[in-house]
Amino acid sequence: MSEGHRLAFAAAFFTQARSDWHVYQLLAATSGLPSCHSLHYLQAACEKLAKAYRLRDTGATVDDVTSRHTGFAKFVNAFLRSPTLVAEYHGLLARYRAVCSSSARFAREIEKLAPAIDRATSPENAEYPWLRGRAVLTPCEYGYPALSLLSEPGGRAFLRLIERAFREYGQVAIQ
Amino acid sequence: MIRSKDDVAQELVRVHFSVEPALSRIYRIRSEREDEPGEPIKLLEVNANTVATGSIDTFTFAPTKEVPVPTVIAEVTPEEHKQLEEGKLRLPGGWSLQGAETFERPAA
Repeated sequence: MSEGHRLAFAAAFFTQARSDWHVYQLLAATSGLPSCHSLHYLQAACEKLAKAYRLRDTGATVDDVTSRHTGFAKFVNAFLRSPTLVAEYHGLLARYRAVCSSSARFAREIEKLAPAIDRATSPENAEYPWLRGRAVLTPCEYGYPALSLLSEPGGRAFLRLIERAFREYGQVAIQ
Repeated sequence: MIRSKDDVAQELVRVHFSVEPALSRIYRIRSEREDEPGEPIKLLEVNANTVATGSIDTFTFAPTKEVPVPTVIAEVTPEEHKQLEEGKLRLPGGWSLQGAETFERPAA
């Protein structure tokens, strides 16, 4: 596949990610919906955003990025280590560490929401029922305790990081 | 027991201060429609441990069992808060610090 196609895929992933992000925000604000639905779109937005950056900046091939659901947690680390972000936190090491730590934790939890990720140890996902012990559990009846904290300060810092990654796609590059 | 919207807001403020040591101040924004059903609790939080975006973005959360009122929360870094005070940043539409209830971080 040509370089032009790779960059076209990066742009397309970004556009679709941003659309998923808007749907996440709509669903998160909608009363009476099980949280699996908003989390499904949050996971989709984050996965596609990471793919867009990877395709554009790292030379990864389209086959590489489309064949797996992982990569978002790595992307968050890479984004936080981008020269723009590092320069911004110069002299603010404690703040930088706190943001990195909470963002990495949420990124791992969101990555695990994809049904194909780590089904043996973390079968909880946002789409399909799963087996936990002897019980079959259903996404729309599950509480996702690790992600209910998205509305608390650490979670919102993570959501702002994602917002920023969307907004500064044209300015920030990852390595 | 059904908690009032004010009780829920107070509890949110307390919890947010307790889980985030870098949170220094919370404004509870009140609108003209504050007493109407469905009007969310609106908080602006000053948090050194958040990521600057150069604007004041809101995140809306639907009611849950624990927080039975919709909430709209915006967060700023102390630097963005200063920019807001200097008029270099704008609050979301319909928000004003005039009439807002201000909560400072409780002394340890």
